[in-house]
Amino acid sequence: MELSLNVNNEEWALDVAPADVLLDVLRERVGTKSPKIGCERGDCGSCTILIDGRSVRSCLVLAVEAEGHEITTVEGIGADHLSELQNLFISNNSFQCGFCAPGIVLSATELLARNPSPSRHDVQEALSGNLCRCTGYEPIIEAVLAAGERNEEVSA
Amino acid sequence: MIAHEFAYERPTTLEEATRVLTEHSGSVRLLAGGTDLVAWLRDDAVAPDLVVDIKAIPGLDTIELDGDELHVGSLVTFTDLIESEVVAEHAPLLIEMAETVASPGIRNRATMVGNICSAVPSCDAGPVLMAYDTTVHLIGPGGARSVSIDDWFIGLRETACSDDEVVTHLTLALRPHGGVYVKLMRYGGEDLAQAAVGIVEYPGHEYRVAFGAVAPTPIRAHRIEEVLRGKPLGEEVIADAVALVRDEISPITDMRATAEYRARMCEVMLERGLAASHERLEGAGPAYGTRLI
Amino acid sequence: MTTTYPFEADSVDDALTAVGTPAVRIDGLDKISGAAQFVDDLDFGPDLLHGAVVESPHAYARIVSIDTSAAEAAPGVVKVITGEDFPYNFGMYMEDRYIFAQHHVRFVGEQVAGVIARTHRQAVRAAKLVEVEYEVLEPLLDPKEAVAEDAPLIHPNLGDYAHVPWFFPKADTNIAHWRKIRKGDTEKAFAEADYVLEDTYRVPRYAHCAIEPHVTVGKLDHAGRLTVWTASQSPHTQRHLFAEALAPLGFAHKDVRVITPYVGGGFGGKAGVSMEIIGAAMATAVKGHPVKLRFTREQEFYNTYQRQGVVAELKVGVMNNGTITAVEHKLYWDAGAYVEYGANVVNAAGLSATGPYRVPNISNDSLCVYTNLPPGGPYRGFGYSEFHFGLESHMDRIAEAIGMDPVDFRRKNAIVEGDELSYGGHMNPSGMIEAIDKTAAAIEWGVDEESKNPNTIMGKGVALFWKAPAMPPNASSASFLKFNEDGSVNVSVSGMELGQGYLTVMAQIAAEILGLPVEMVRVETPDTDRNPYEWQTVASHVTWSSGLAVEKAAIEARAKIFEVIHEVYGFEDETLYLEDQKVKCTTDPEFAKPLREFVIDGIQTDDGTWRGGPIIASGKFMPEFTNANSDPETGQGGHPNVHYTVGACGVLIEIDKETGRIWVRKAALAVDAGKAINPDLVKGQITGGLVQGLATVLYEDMRFDDDGRLMNPNFTDYKIPTSFDIPDEMIPIIVEVPQPDGPFGARGVGEHTMIAAAPVIANAVYNALGVRIKSMPITQEKIALAVTDRHHN
Repeated sequence: MELSLNVNNEEWALDVAPADVLLDVLRERVGTKSPKIGCERGDCGSCTILIDGRSVRSCLVLAVEAEGHEITTVEGIGADHLSELQNLFISNNSFQCGFCAPGIVLSATELLARNPSPSRHDVQEALSGNLCRCTGYEPIIEAVLAAGERNEEVSA
Repeated sequence: MIAHEFAYERPTTLEEATRVLTEHSGSVRLLAGGTDLVAWLRDDAVAPDLVVDIKAIPGLDTIELDGDELHVGSLVTFTDLIESEVVAEHAPLLIEMAETVASPGIRNRATMVGNICSAVPSCDAGPVLMAYDTTVHLIGPGGARSVSIDDWFIGLRETACSDDEVVTHLTLALRPHGGVYVKLMRYGGEDLAQAAVGIVEYPGHEYRVAFGAVAPTPIRAHRIEEVLRGKPLGEEVIADAVALVRDEISPITDMRATAEYRARMCEVMLERGLAASHERLEGAGPAYGTRLI
Repeated sequence: MTTTYPFEADSVDDALTAVGTPAVRIDGLDKISGAAQFVDDLDFGPDLLHGAVVESPHAYARIVSIDTSAAEAAPGVVKVITGEDFPYNFGMYMEDRYIFAQHHVRFVGEQVAGVIARTHRQAVRAAKLVEVEYEVLEPLLDPKEAVAEDAPLIHPNLGDYAHVPWFFPKADTNIAHWRKIRKGDTEKAFAEADYVLEDTYRVPRYAHCAIEPHVTVGKLDHAGRLTVWTASQSPHTQRHLFAEALAPLGFAHKDVRVITPYVGGGFGGKAGVSMEIIGAAMATAVKGHPVKLRFTREQEFYNTYQRQGVVAELKVGVMNNGTITAVEHKLYWDAGAYVEYGANVVNAAGLSATGPYRVPNISNDSLCVYTNLPPGGPYRGFGYSEFHFGLESHMDRIAEAIGMDPVDFRRKNAIVEGDELSYGGHMNPSGMIEAIDKTAAAIEWGVDEESKNPNTIMGKGVALFWKAPAMPPNASSASFLKFNEDGSVNVSVSGMELGQGYLTVMAQIAAEILGLPVEMVRVETPDTDRNPYEWQTVASHVTWSSGLAVEKAAIEARAKIFEVIHEVYGFEDETLYLEDQKVKCTTDPEFAKPLREFVIDGIQTDDGTWRGGPIIASGKFMPEFTNANSDPETGQGGHPNVHYTVGACGVLIEIDKETGRIWVRKAALAVDAGKAINPDLVKGQITGGLVQGLATVLYEDMRFDDDGRLMNPNFTDYKIPTSFDIPDEMIPIIVEVPQPDGPFGARGVGEHTMIAAAPVIANAVYNALGVRIKSMPITQEKIALAVTDRHHN
């Protein structure tokens, strides 16, 4: 099937099979490698992308479903310059192996876009579908909370 | 990667959808949020010839309040429910339930109607929709029809919806109420229910009680409702209701819990849930979304 | 008496500028921007082929026949291979493993054949067409049943397998290795003890659950060179095992190359060789093409290493004054179908099963038992997490029985520097007492907490831990270091960045010696062609061992810098030092020669000629004081362990008395890092390890049915912690009693942080409810049922 896909503001014209999963098409056909293959059944969150600004498991979306929607991956978030959140993740040594990081950056980006000064519970909720086996989450949560505090300072 | 290959259709009207479904009856699957279906395809748990994506059909994604009825379209996601002011005001129990479903990245796609169409025993929406006296509206080659949620679940992954029908929306009968959804999970993170109970108390000591994950389908607890009917809640009445739990449910032992733990926890959840829903009816009690266990 | 160390590293210095600072990770930007590449992210072009594995549905069966014809005829299929094509065995410490099953399958999921096709979908579809006929045999799923006299043999040819000299397999049994420790006279000590407690503790199997699954891409090019890209903790060990296992195909080690980019978590699961051998074998079958084998999450669970289960029979004797006089610990390990790596877990546990205590009379038996379950192997904690559950539960019970405070009891018996170890050596410097005191203070031990919620009750617990790296006695590390024109440095090592921060720590060590900012040092993941040898990134040994190799290389580079400065300017070496990317001199405050001016091009002398040239250096480290030779019947005589890292853990928990749900309100963990090269990264190991450990006790659990099939090979039913499943408050405590032979005094901490988590919860549950649970996990269900049953009894 013909598919036109918008990934990080670039248009792609692709020929895909209905059974092709969006995650695989992004990685193998578009070359966008930040969404990772972790479980392929929606449990781990490492394939998280944003579709129209909403975090979605790209392993649970058929590529043909993405027609007409805007897809954002972490390559699109930090393309020109890193976001404040990304800088805080770096300075806080938030990640270890980094495999879950692209998904977590996107889930946290979605959260901050809708809720600029989230509570600790809000952050835990937003990240609850992104499994991280290394960090115990604490340094990740702290960085998102710090990003929220900066938002508060800016708006104050 | 999905090894099985299939065809894909994206109808733009309900008529077209039912026509396609009729033509391929028997080997077709409807696709809405896809959080169950795509996982099942990947696991080879289903192998349809055709997948029909209903997301291009207009009008199925709305939440509308119409007098004392709340209409929830079949493309309404759990996130839509959580973010809806109408739902927060009139059916807050839907939000309490929706917030226990998986995690945001799933709730952004998964629909409540999809949840009851998948019809697994741990289906979160089931007990709450039963407690809200819900009607399911379908359309098929023979036209539109409606089914009470009490008659909706036929068996494991089996519903009253036939292969050539599409659910258009749900209607919840609204009255002032207090309610709870209590879900037993293995830990603090996302989980399928080990057991669950949905409770609504209406003014005049009228109650709805339904359980999840303790029978092949979500089940309405008529005997418990009967024993409670017309009685103000007190320790004794609650104890009478709790004493009936094991008559209502038929839990099994599986990897997620033993039958015995499920049964005991249904008792605990009913006891705490009745108290909380009563407090909420009176405008007090724990805020919706507070976990009782 | 203390051990003397042939190599004494630089002493810990107050004036450190890079070491001891919470430097920002040098891989932080890569990982946060999507730039970090893992194996599956590498591109191999249009001729990349894809592999799929045909697996055994039976736990134990004889293969009657394999028919590959339908699969070979399927669209896109390039090649189908079976055990007949690769009739070789191999293994890390014992060669009991096969590339594809040979005649028998020994666990559900074992690889029987491989299909290679143009696309992944074609490979998976064709794999379903391979027809295998089995004669099903009765499986052995329980280690106690498998050691019974009349048990059928899982490996009838056990006696023929090659193995390391410190293993003692018992031919014609299912016991692949039996580590014994006999010290003092336990019989007499138990007879004379005032109190003896004996009980059995059970620990199930666990999965590592690195979020990145195992992936291998192999390519045998037309010139005969085999390159394998792997998600691995062990590039050089993999190269060695590939070369050895495939030696009949004519490979020399130099012709085998392993390239390991970033790894998405290891935890031991990517150590040694597991599925990678299948990928390497597939590559040899399709010369000229790269072939990718990526395990699914399900395969990740059932056909890579698992943490072994154990049945621990423990007997401890004490005097009324609280002195431990004897420990008898019998560990029956459910080691699975192949034990080539897992047997060393058994060995390590056997050597240290007294825990961190001074025990004069010891009898340890650690038995590696074959079962028809997936192969056991290394997992963060390497046997110690498993035996600490029972041991540290036992210590609390004994303290209570003799009326002693559990913290006082531990403080009294804790092993300290110079105490004799179970195998006869002596304990290294250790901050155990400080760790105990700081942990107890952090959780306000002795202060009772009241819950405000009538449904819940509070409890506190403590537990100690220790662990030594488990390695061959001569496991070594090496490094190369070279300066660039601008005075920046590239360091080459072959340890793996698993997330622990290894690259950053190596950069900090080099930066410290060379007077550079950390940002001026680049350290990258290895390629066995270019990077020097490293045994493996396991055993929490790389900060120590690879760190020493880097330190030595940096010291050598510094000496070469001083040599050229001396030659040109005449300053004596002892007066020179490196600071701010310059060479400075204590006798001439005016002298400051920027490194960038000479580390490549050298220094021009008065006659116009040049001195020096590119500054390059190398370093290596091998512990030269260890040996694994000991008496098989007593374990005495050797010096198998380099040193132990110790620490303590304490928690405050809240339990719902009806549902059994546990909230960890506070968790403190103190670990003696010797010297924290990067305190931020040590804290990262503490929080990460603690949460991983808590999960093993609270809910994780591999569940097998009666046919040996894993029932929960996914995150839907094998629950690992989410952002909600962490303690409300975590208190990392770094103790620093220097390791005399460590780089700047450092020793490893990576694994240790999860070891005490299970018993600390068991002890806190008892403290709260008076219920002692002796099998892991301590799920909310187990607690709820135990509480109600107690009320009914």
